[in-house]
Amino acid sequence: MELEGYVLPDELYYHEEHSWARIEKDGTVTVGMNDFFQKEAGDIVFVDMPEVDEEVEQGEVCGKIQSRKWIGKLCTPLSGEIFEINEELEDEVTLVNTDPYGAGWIFKMKAANLEEEKANLYHGESVGPWISEEIAKAEEEKAKSS
Amino acid sequence: MTEKAEKWRLLEDWRRLVPAAGGLAVDDLLAYSISDFGSPPILHLYTFEPAAIVGKYQDIHAALKLDRCRERGVAFNRRSTGGGTVIMGPDVVALGFGISLRDKRIGSGVGGVFRVMSGVLVRALERLGVSASFRPKNDLEVAGKKLAGLSASAEVGDCVLFHASILVDFDVNLMLDIMNTPAQKIYDKGYSCFSERLTTIRKETHRDVTMDEAIHAIRSSFEESFGIRFVQSELTPPEREKAADLEKGRYCDEHWIFSHRHPPSNMGEALVKTPGGLLQVYLSTAGHAIDQVIITGDFFSTTEQLNRLESALKWTLAEPDRILQAIREVWEPDLIYGVSPEALRDAIVAAKTVCDKAQGPPYSDRAPHGRA
Repeated sequence: MELEGYVLPDELYYHEEHSWARIEKDGTVTVGMNDFFQKEAGDIVFVDMPEVDEEVEQGEVCGKIQSRKWIGKLCTPLSGEIFEINEELEDEVTLVNTDPYGAGWIFKMKAANLEEEKANLYHGESVGPWISEEIAKAEEEKAKSS
Repeated sequence: MTEKAEKWRLLEDWRRLVPAAGGLAVDDLLAYSISDFGSPPILHLYTFEPAAIVGKYQDIHAALKLDRCRERGVAFNRRSTGGGTVIMGPDVVALGFGISLRDKRIGSGVGGVFRVMSGVLVRALERLGVSASFRPKNDLEVAGKKLAGLSASAEVGDCVLFHASILVDFDVNLMLDIMNTPAQKIYDKGYSCFSERLTTIRKETHRDVTMDEAIHAIRSSFEESFGIRFVQSELTPPEREKAADLEKGRYCDEHWIFSHRHPPSNMGEALVKTPGGLLQVYLSTAGHAIDQVIITGDFFSTTEQLNRLESALKWTLAEPDRILQAIREVWEPDLIYGVSPEALRDAIVAAKTVCDKAQGPPYSDRAPHGRA
């Protein structure tokens, strides 16, 4: 789906704090930040990533993302155990901006409660209204700032 | 304002000098107070014992001359919000503010927080007779000179911690003695270089504005801007316990203070001949982004214009197209007489090349650490 210049691939699941989850064929989950987040945040300077083997709960802040002087939250979209982080981001953090759904992924996890928790995420038809609301809020803020 | 106005909490601690660890711990507590203890928004106004405070993801060794800090009795620590180094002390108002992002009065998202909070502080300065404005990305300025720095972090739950340091007075010599700046090699020119880029409330008002006046102006501006009344407040026993935990587990912990969780920092400079004169660029980088840039030379321009350019470039990705884009956002004809935006970009890129060559140990060699 592309809405007002923001790309949100249909196969992904989205957390309200703008992390995305891709459920891989082997049942593992890849996580990153969506296009709306990276465009709103601007140039990402640093991603403070979670640790491998860390167990996280859906919605938990498991990392931080610095852009300019703002430090935003990296919320895990699902519960489970993290088994890999994207070490390439340590040298090329700009991938979160340039390729948010590809090389800019942040961590991979084994989901603990996938089927139940998927229902708490935006997916399919629910993505459009949610992201439209987010865009409207951002536009309103930009209008006030200008 | 009527007695029915909503009441927010005010923690004032500026009649003494607060140790860095204690002050920063109380700031961090603010978001927990709202999220976990059901508190209304809280404003914390205080003054630090002399201290150099780096941003959460700064390399403290690159930012500060730690030996000089120790010799001069200046504490050093790391705050939980982003941005660069600030030098705090008895003449600098430290402001911590915690509020839920669901509160419509704080605007929406990152842009909203900075828009609303810069407005509150601009109005506070107006009360003192200072005409300041917000300078993107995160400063308040008066005629191109920085008077206050702003930073923020999304903390627990949906709460945000907003930080500001507001200069009532400032010791530029102390700053130059304890901070590493990209213009280190022009130390003899350093005082004028930085005093032209900074200002204070006392300098702007030409009078000895007291801390009491400055604090009162900030407090009143908050009340008027948000339509609330402050109630002088103390920490509750559970809050005191949480603040003590944060102080011990974070701000007194060397793993936090000397954290290796940051992009690599480097410094470089370039000297380029242009039709307008010699152009010197001093640059420090944090990973791929510009941390600080100082533009000097024997060309014709104004300090105000140069400061605006330098601010626009801060936290910009140090890549040629992004640098040029940032320059063009604030460029005006003859901003630097005889120098084109492209020539300035090329000078910055040349300085970046020097930074890249100066790179320290690989990022993967970082020491183990804990995240807070």
